[in-house]
Amino acid sequence: MSTQAAAGTYTLDYVKTIGLTTNQRGRGFVNPYDVAFSKDGRIFVLNHCDSARRNLMRVGICSFDEEYLGEFGDGGGAADDQFNSPVAMAVDSKDRVYITDELHHRVTIFDSAGTFLSKWDAAGSGDGEFNGPAGITIDAQDNVYIVDQHNSRVQKFDTDGKYITQWGEAGSGPSQFNLPWGIGVDSSGQVYVADWRNDRIQKFTPDGKHLASFGQSGEGDGQFYRPSGVAVDSKGYIYVADWGNERVQVLNPGGGFEKLLKGQATLSKWAHDYLNVNLEEKETREISNLIPDLPPQYNTPHHISSQTEPYFWGPVSVRLDGDDRLYVTETNRHRIQIFQRG
Amino acid sequence: MSSQEIGQMAHLMRRAGFSATRDELEEYVEKGYEAVVEELLHPGDPQNLPDDIIRRYHTEQSELRLSDGAAAYWMYRMITTKCPLEDKLALFWHGLFATAYSKLNQARALLNQIDMFRRHGMGNLSTLLVELSKDPAMIIWLDNNDNHKDAPNENFGRELLELFTLGIGNYTEQDVKECARAFTGWTLGNAEYMASRASRDSIWPYSRIAWYFQYRDYDHDDGEKTFLGETGKFGGEDIIEIIVRQEATARFICTRLFQFFAADEVDDAGEQVINSMIQSYWDSKHEIRSVLRTLFNSEYFKSDQARFARVKGPVELVVGAVRLAGSYTTPTQGIEQVARQAVYMGQGLLQPPSVEGWHEGIEWVDSGALVERVNFVAHEISNVNNPGVRRIIERLAGENGGVLSPEVLVDRCLDLLGPVLVSSSTRKSLVEYAARQGDLHLTGHETGDEAEQRVATMLGLATSTREFQLA
Repeated sequence: MSTQAAAGTYTLDYVKTIGLTTNQRGRGFVNPYDVAFSKDGRIFVLNHCDSARRNLMRVGICSFDEEYLGEFGDGGGAADDQFNSPVAMAVDSKDRVYITDELHHRVTIFDSAGTFLSKWDAAGSGDGEFNGPAGITIDAQDNVYIVDQHNSRVQKFDTDGKYITQWGEAGSGPSQFNLPWGIGVDSSGQVYVADWRNDRIQKFTPDGKHLASFGQSGEGDGQFYRPSGVAVDSKGYIYVADWGNERVQVLNPGGGFEKLLKGQATLSKWAHDYLNVNLEEKETREISNLIPDLPPQYNTPHHISSQTEPYFWGPVSVRLDGDDRLYVTETNRHRIQIFQRG
Repeated sequence: MSSQEIGQMAHLMRRAGFSATRDELEEYVEKGYEAVVEELLHPGDPQNLPDDIIRRYHTEQSELRLSDGAAAYWMYRMITTKCPLEDKLALFWHGLFATAYSKLNQARALLNQIDMFRRHGMGNLSTLLVELSKDPAMIIWLDNNDNHKDAPNENFGRELLELFTLGIGNYTEQDVKECARAFTGWTLGNAEYMASRASRDSIWPYSRIAWYFQYRDYDHDDGEKTFLGETGKFGGEDIIEIIVRQEATARFICTRLFQFFAADEVDDAGEQVINSMIQSYWDSKHEIRSVLRTLFNSEYFKSDQARFARVKGPVELVVGAVRLAGSYTTPTQGIEQVARQAVYMGQGLLQPPSVEGWHEGIEWVDSGALVERVNFVAHEISNVNNPGVRRIIERLAGENGGVLSPEVLVDRCLDLLGPVLVSSSTRKSLVEYAARQGDLHLTGHETGDEAEQRVATMLGLATSTREFQLA
């Protein structure tokens, strides 16, 4: 399969924003960390939650048109349908939902209606065991790849949880990791890992042979600061959640810099609903400048995003749906910004 | 090195920092007292637990929606900093320029204020006061966003004079009015929207939006003002320049610094030190660093008389215990509980009870707070899995073949925890307790075994003494 694209043809357009902060169950998100998609177009949103709202840990389900369809998962706790620190989510060919939990050291599997099916929960460093499972992705052949962050490795399983292989060790050389986080696969099955504290993306064959590394530490084009997520579209373009720089970068199929996204959120349908019944806030908001010039002491990406509502803030995950639409999940803004290839 | 040197250095680090382990004290003594004072006064890289690590593993400390996460974040800073005076002084300014979450509903603005204290806390007082006057948290806290050219609000102007600098009796009501006029137009960006959100504690639609200072020229009263006997078209910066030239300001600031770092009560000898601090204030053109240098290098401060002359504040106590225990140096679930412990003892970080800050000294210790203080410290210090406790056990195991008489066990535990100087009756009680099980044999000890538990118990008892409550 070719992963080449004609130079100069790449465009990516902002589509919309989904989401709203909430302090309760139901509509809205609480520190979302990841999204996944069922074949019938439902969007699963993993609510990681801060420590004050552990009871709201769950998966919310909504549609692209922002219809709230339900939820599953029963907050923080040790039961099979509860979480401690849920990090990432993926869906297999049978629409089963796999959720990693870095503090429970387990992967929990639900059907797409939210019924608990099984769990893989062996803590440790042996084959098939976990120490802080983080990113997860499932390829077209139903191979399940899981970033085992504190064991500095990627593990590969089948959908029954049978261990297949692993690769990686602690360090900064090729095939070495420093607190890796997100993971993605391209349409040909190559695996991409967000090597978080090495500020790079590593690319591997499906059996773990190192192919390339993209990026280095920094704030420039093609540089990263603590990348947390990676996804690859059908044309081979690589999307990186450049978490520490509060932005998303697009790399071309060869790994070269293509495009920078800072975020441009607009009001979601749910946000409109909120402001339409809270008129004092609506009216004062309308006379506000939400993209201000800031004093110099606040000119770090994190500070800028904390004060500039449309920008990404805590862009922890990038995922693509079946139509190659890009979903950027912002944990600090409790929303998802969606983009579409032109 | 002598026990006197260790004792003196421990005293400095209790006051100018948050206590220090014996390994740290030995390193400091090697450098020499005055060199350590200079190091404290010129903080470099604090080598804190890195922000990226904190933010990855503590979502609430990344978003900072509530005060709990912000307090926990500051706890991490204080627990892991290599530049403890920077944060100790920030804690001092936080108490003096007390600003609380309760009205703001904006934890990030408070942490930004604390960061401002780190940047400017040791520098020129006028710079610090200008930054304070521009600080968005302070603006909302004392209503300067409602201080308009045509409708002045005196709240900030009054507290600036009464509680922050001159002290009551050193200005007139007219001075307050003129001061307020000078700060009209000092507000924050999108003030109307932000004030509305703050008053409603709104997190919608997309969580908090942090604040920044904005000067509105059209809302500033540029007319002539007479303030503390001087007349001109004063703005806020001019007012502050006049304030820092006042004798009352020098005495107020130096006295408060003395009480925080040296002694709860000011005696005649303390008055002389304060006078020296005031002289340094003038000589340095209002630099706090020079004032502190004079204090820490004074014979008064270095003398035995000054030791254990202050009641540890709850945050000092909690952070000091955690630093001794060596816990919470990596992301740890429960760090918010550590911050909350200080609340139970009467000092919630970022939650001072009023603009007057906390009532310190002996008022920290009522019976309820004392139980909390003893329980928390004993729990941390008697956990043999904590790295700092393990280090103490290893030291003891390496002395005299690991065999310790009850007297030696008590003396060495008190020594390695401070040194803590206890009364003879307290020591006698501790020795009697230790003697119930005879000599302690740490030879071949293993983590958590009976011998280690005896050490842990004694450490816990040692921290339960009256003397450990004092700095």
